[in-house]
Amino acid sequence: MYDTYTIFWRELKRYKKSRSGVLIRLIQPAIWIIVVGNIFSETQPLIQSVGFDGEYIEFMAPGVIILTAIFTSIFGGVNTLWDRRYGFMNKALTSPISRSAIALGKMSAISLIAALQASLIIGIALAIGVTFPNPFMIIPIMAIVVLFSLGFSGISVTLAATAKSQETFWGMINLMGMPLFMLSPALFPLELLPNWLAVVAKLNPVTYTVLLVRELMTGVSEGGIPILISLGVIFAFVLAMIAIASYVFTREVNKPF
Amino acid sequence: MYSIETKSLTKSFGDLVAVNDISFSVEKGEIFGFLGPNGAGKSTTMMIFTTLLKPTSGQALVAGFDVMKNAKHVRENIGFVQQETTVDEYLTGRENLLLQARLNHIPKNEINHRIDEVLDLIELTDKQDQAVVTYSGGMRKRLDIAGGLLHHPKVLFLDEPTVGLDIQTRRKIWEYIKKIHTEFEMTIFLTTHYMEEADNLCDRIGIMDHGKIQVIDSPQNMKNDLGNEIISLLVDESNNHNSFLSELKKIEFIKKINEDNLKLTLFVSNGTEVIPKIFQISSQLEIKITSISLTQPTLDDVFISYTGHEIRDDDSKYNRKREHAKMKRLRA
Repeated sequence: MYDTYTIFWRELKRYKKSRSGVLIRLIQPAIWIIVVGNIFSETQPLIQSVGFDGEYIEFMAPGVIILTAIFTSIFGGVNTLWDRRYGFMNKALTSPISRSAIALGKMSAISLIAALQASLIIGIALAIGVTFPNPFMIIPIMAIVVLFSLGFSGISVTLAATAKSQETFWGMINLMGMPLFMLSPALFPLELLPNWLAVVAKLNPVTYTVLLVRELMTGVSEGGIPILISLGVIFAFVLAMIAIASYVFTREVNKPF
Repeated sequence: MYSIETKSLTKSFGDLVAVNDISFSVEKGEIFGFLGPNGAGKSTTMMIFTTLLKPTSGQALVAGFDVMKNAKHVRENIGFVQQETTVDEYLTGRENLLLQARLNHIPKNEINHRIDEVLDLIELTDKQDQAVVTYSGGMRKRLDIAGGLLHHPKVLFLDEPTVGLDIQTRRKIWEYIKKIHTEFEMTIFLTTHYMEEADNLCDRIGIMDHGKIQVIDSPQNMKNDLGNEIISLLVDESNNHNSFLSELKKIEFIKKINEDNLKLTLFVSNGTEVIPKIFQISSQLEIKITSISLTQPTLDDVFISYTGHEIRDDDSKYNRKREHAKMKRLRA
């Protein structure tokens, strides 16, 4: 635990010192919510057909919160490659801390950073007129975002440990990130997907997270998936990613870089 | 007890044997230097000692623990300062040391005291709260070395500690290394390809080439073995050249003669008496001496006498081929 905290502390220190990065990472989700949210405002009837009677922007705001979490956390592992290139990794590997503590420390730092970025997006959403029927829901929403990001950072750390170069890493990240986001009800309701895509979407942990956050935010339950099932899927995803990331990371960093 | 002990240690990457069956030991409290050209196997050996690589065969004990079976205990007892500086630029000097202290499980109530102690030693107390970005190369290296000894390891590994630093900084780093050695009574194991560095710091040196240790001894003994002086001689061409050589070999103080066409290098133990004798022989044989000089041997001379070539540059053909093969293996 202490070792995980050591790495977590280091990652957060580095994040704190890179202030420009905080803003840069906000630009993309801000564009999504402002531009796409308004362009598609005419699709309100589509949204209403599945039982949602608010504005389109209110429907997609939870999707953009999750988008922020996905991309912040899936990019987050990239410094694993720098650490291996510039010797910090060897420094950590020759100290008594365990390999999986390094992976878990990175993951927990990434998930907290992702949640911070997501909370800034919630701020932007509120600023452009998205309303929360119940403001206290922000607490469970943030908890879900932290949990979900922990799982996604596991994907990132796993890929970064396996990749031998930046190019490979970015290639794999793009391969993973966009499809996982698109194959979820982040922008449009599941009901509008053709059947076979809906089946694929139901295998995607992003789907359950978006549905859960949307239900907490707007009070509208969609797709008939109970909260407990969604929570269960998210927990299972996170536990699986922790296990996979620790295992793969430990195996990969023991090989010469 | 030895601080480092190896038995038939071998590491190969595919069919490239980087470390070839080496057996040696380093005594407690010693400063031991590994000297050799690029690609000789020095760094690979150090990576085995620091548990970053597993040996292909053979055994290595560091601080009494087996690097394979007891890696965790080895890690608890070593400090490792890598060739490239690894301090975190975004953090301050003190934060870097704090990170290092936590990585090495220094008890919480001792951390601050230990950090103050090493900051004082490397004379960075004034700059401790500045971000490392503002530090010079030498300061970064000092901070890196400080991080390696915070937890008072039994064995400190320094991989080419002064590579890329200017001469003044290099000398300063040597001073710190000596200070660390006397203050903390650590065993220090370093690699270098600077002869001067090995000569200046090390109690004993191992010369490594082609994955093998060619010789281990103290710098002084190595130089003594070659005689304590070198006479370099340039002669004109002559029919009597061969008889000149055989006459020279009869002089008792001459230990070894290297010839390179008309240039002769004599390793001698009593140069001032040898020179008149050389002139005597040359005038008898009517050989003209164009130039003559008497110098003290440096470790460079020792090195060349053992490896048969000067330290290779990175761009030498041999080395590039070898490095390339190694990289290919590692990436495969």
